[in-house]
Amino acid sequence: MTRYEAVHADPDGDATVARLALTASEYGYDGIVVRNHGDASPEYDGDRIGEKYGIDVVEGVEIRADDPGRASGFVGNHRDRRTIVAVHGGTVEMNRFAVEQPAVDVLAHPMVGDGDFNHVLAKAAATNSVHVELSLARVLRADGGERVQALRDLRKLRELLDDADAPFVVSADPQSHLQLRAPRELRAIGAVLGFDADVIETGLAAWGELAERNRERASDAFVEPGVWLDEE
Amino acid sequence: MKHLPKHLQPRWRYLAVRFETWPDATVDRGAFQRELWYAAQNLLGDVGSAAVDLTVVRFDGWDGGGEAIVRVRRGECERARAIVACVDAIGSDPVGLRVAGTSGTVRACEEKYMRGGPERTEQRHVTVGDAERPAVVRDGRLEYRMNDAFTAGTPLDIE
Repeated sequence: MTRYEAVHADPDGDATVARLALTASEYGYDGIVVRNHGDASPEYDGDRIGEKYGIDVVEGVEIRADDPGRASGFVGNHRDRRTIVAVHGGTVEMNRFAVEQPAVDVLAHPMVGDGDFNHVLAKAAATNSVHVELSLARVLRADGGERVQALRDLRKLRELLDDADAPFVVSADPQSHLQLRAPRELRAIGAVLGFDADVIETGLAAWGELAERNRERASDAFVEPGVWLDEE
Repeated sequence: MKHLPKHLQPRWRYLAVRFETWPDATVDRGAFQRELWYAAQNLLGDVGSAAVDLTVVRFDGWDGGGEAIVRVRRGECERARAIVACVDAIGSDPVGLRVAGTSGTVRACEEKYMRGGPERTEQRHVTVGDAERPAVVRDGRLEYRMNDAFTAGTPLDIE
């Protein structure tokens, strides 16, 4: 199974795309998804970086907006230009907006801040094939009460997604090369948290599968799912 | 105290841990050991922490990183990995760690996974975007200073 990690690069984070790619390839990842917020896009040459460090660099975006109306416009803008379109979750309205949009690939960290999730949203995510992120950021980097809350949220989210059979992605949500963790370490964390053995692997692979699917869709030969133009 | 008979001695595994920091960080063995214990206690509690029994037995730090060997009880490697992953700073310095490998003896661990520091670290100015910036360059990677904070890059960013 391939393993991908979705990162925030400079200017969102403290490391450039190239540095994140270098560290991720040393850690055994097959690819990174650059998911900077829409207002902080980095400039980089993904192909060149990918070739140099032997890793797939996927162009993505994490749309951050105050209300669904504005977010909807951003999704339209970015959909044609980016391989992976994620929505910055964390409020009930934005979470609902994201899972109801088939054009959205990923709902990022739905449980931060005032965000919450329920069985209705999980079902919508499954219907629209919107991958919900199980973010390990606060498990890895917070402590005390905040971390307890993060663990509780993560468990709730996991149970809801499992029940609705909704797709999901897993990420440590690193903001720098120092916040990256190797897949095997994430798997060990998953085991401590009581996740099934393959949850972390499936979640890391899902980023790659999304990228592959969307690249296929963006290619000239694609007509609609199951229909494509043959070369000859 | 007298040595335990061999069959009662605890069996250990040794984890090689490699870490990276910002160039201005100073990290020592004591601080690293303390962070490991905190992380273990926060993640697994007193019982789990005692069961894994993390001890730093070798430590080699340099500017911008280092490596260490951590002793754990045999059979607890995966939980030890999870603990290591949860260390996000040593003191107030952010740190990125990974387990490079595990061995049954300190010596095997040293020979197989300890690489030593970078051959040389160089301070110079690099051009990023349209401005010259002071940078620390080592080992195919660099950190340049921008508005009082470091940004991590590689030679690809300054070509």
